Amino acid sequence: MKNRRHANPKKKQRLKGARAVNASRQNHQWWGPPPEESRHIAVNKFKALVDKRSSLKQAIEKFIKNGVNIGIGGFVNTRVPVAIIHEIIRKGAKDLTLSFQSTSICAELLAGAMLLNPDHLSIKRVELAWWGYEVIGIAPLLRHLAAKGMIQLDDYTNYGMSARFKAAAMGLEFLPVKDHGGSDMERCNRGTMIKSPFSGKNTYLVPACYPDVAIIHATAADVYGNCRIFGPLCTCAEIAMAATYTVVTAEQIISNESIRNYPNLTEIPYLVVDALIEQPFGAYPGLCYGHYWFDMAHIGLFRSASDEFQRSGNSDSLKKYYADYIFGCETFDDFLEKIPPQTLEKVKRLDGRQPIIVG
Amino acid sequence: MTTYSAVEMIAFTGSRMLEDNKIVFVGTGLPMIAAMHAQLTHAPGLGMIFEAGALSPVLDMGIPLSVGDTRACRQACYLKGLCAVFELTQRGYADYAFIGGAQIDRYGNVNSTFEGGSYEKPRTRFPGSGGAGAMAASCQKTIIIMALEKRRFVKKLDFLTSVGFGDGSATFRERSGVAGSGPFRVITNEALFGFDEQSRKMVLLEVAPGKSAQQIQEKVDFKLNLAPDLGTMPEPTESDLRLLREVCDPEGYFLKRKVK
Repeated sequence: MKNRRHANPKKKQRLKGARAVNASRQNHQWWGPPPEESRHIAVNKFKALVDKRSSLKQAIEKFIKNGVNIGIGGFVNTRVPVAIIHEIIRKGAKDLTLSFQSTSICAELLAGAMLLNPDHLSIKRVELAWWGYEVIGIAPLLRHLAAKGMIQLDDYTNYGMSARFKAAAMGLEFLPVKDHGGSDMERCNRGTMIKSPFSGKNTYLVPACYPDVAIIHATAADVYGNCRIFGPLCTCAEIAMAATYTVVTAEQIISNESIRNYPNLTEIPYLVVDALIEQPFGAYPGLCYGHYWFDMAHIGLFRSASDEFQRSGNSDSLKKYYADYIFGCETFDDFLEKIPPQTLEKVKRLDGRQPIIVG
Repeated sequence: MTTYSAVEMIAFTGSRMLEDNKIVFVGTGLPMIAAMHAQLTHAPGLGMIFEAGALSPVLDMGIPLSVGDTRACRQACYLKGLCAVFELTQRGYADYAFIGGAQIDRYGNVNSTFEGGSYEKPRTRFPGSGGAGAMAASCQKTIIIMALEKRRFVKKLDFLTSVGFGDGSATFRERSGVAGSGPFRVITNEALFGFDEQSRKMVLLEVAPGKSAQQIQEKVDFKLNLAPDLGTMPEPTESDLRLLREVCDPEGYFLKRKVK
């Protein structure tokens, strides 16, 4: 399209548009470990069946370093790794890269931590498809960070991000997909258009996304890290297998006997799990199918504080949220203690007791 | 006389667009309501895809508030993840995409990424493509829901997120490597639009009762082509409204909203 705005003038030269190029992308940057490095670490991992359980604090201390790329599991408000995010915020880490398809409170919580104290936690860039709360509203802190030019964004579709994780989970550098072409994402993201070597037709390639660390909340796992997921699988298995290291919280630990009785039900194999934490309500205030629905009121509470900050610059409510619910807690269980028991009962009831197999 | 709201008209019109025995890839909100209404009336064989991974669930716990909602997965025939349902779509098993956005141009391209400023420093950043870009590329027909306002029906998008007919050239979609046939309908509460087969430009097909083509043109920043047989949008009947209000969205999560 002749008249389309050049989203990034510097990239005009490698403008692909409907004109396919076969040039190699020597300027491509991996926003995490290069595939060879990630494979090398996988090859050298200790692969026996060992108890992977750890405290969340120890796991985050070990894997979340300055500059890492964190792949966030779940989808919007579904099975989001909120407990892990709280611990990352307590620990602090700078120059993070975030990768996900669609998320809500996880990215917003990290963004709020950055806005309140950038010396403690900061996000450098985000590779994403969507950042918002769906029915509850837009993400005010994304809007703020983007408008101020405080983070670099790299946009794909939900399938594009999922395919990028899948490519990495397959040990590849890229996957061909039938979207992005013709959109302005094509000219600002790191994908590229090539001609199919078979038909000569234009084909879009998305680069694999290899996070340093995947953070996933699973329905159940055995102590070795074999994970079962019920409800939508989102892109959790792909993200776990794409990442160099994977930290999993599970609603409950189940027996290895159960895992072995129904091996088809294992969505994430023990091999790719590096730390496992049993954490009931680990996705709260998001939902976990078979356990609890999402708590619109609590998400709304945090979102309102964020919205107030974005609109007026007044950070009092936002500071109070972090002081009360994150920095004022040693563990995620301390946070859950602050949620009225009847609220937790209510979200459990609203799940409608979806059948899951955990025996 | 039956009274109905703008969103009810949009949901009802959305339902009208859906043919029986097809698959519709739905987003949160009005698309779900439109698809539920269609299932309950003229399209009992219609199936739904929700992008977090569900195919053909039974929506008997109330309207899902997210495409990853437990309510969107219950009693599904197939429940996996994003890769699975988007790959089914890419393969050719999703007939309709239902998407929204902040801006649309005359070729049915949609922006849901940002408005004003630049990509690096947008005045207003929106959530981003989400599934929309993939749905608009790979579902066979794209239906777009949009509020009818001049600032939304624009000559030029600030950012092209979901591909329509691009620059309008005949081979644009093929050259872009996308498989679906492209924009099919644009639904607003005051008018229904389609696209001219030859020029791929937006065409005014129907206007709401009491509205004129001129009134619609005043809310659109590019010149509209008029269908030779300009129609009137059918209105929801009492029974349609009862279904919408009492069965599809009894809690009023979406139907009680105002069209922005």
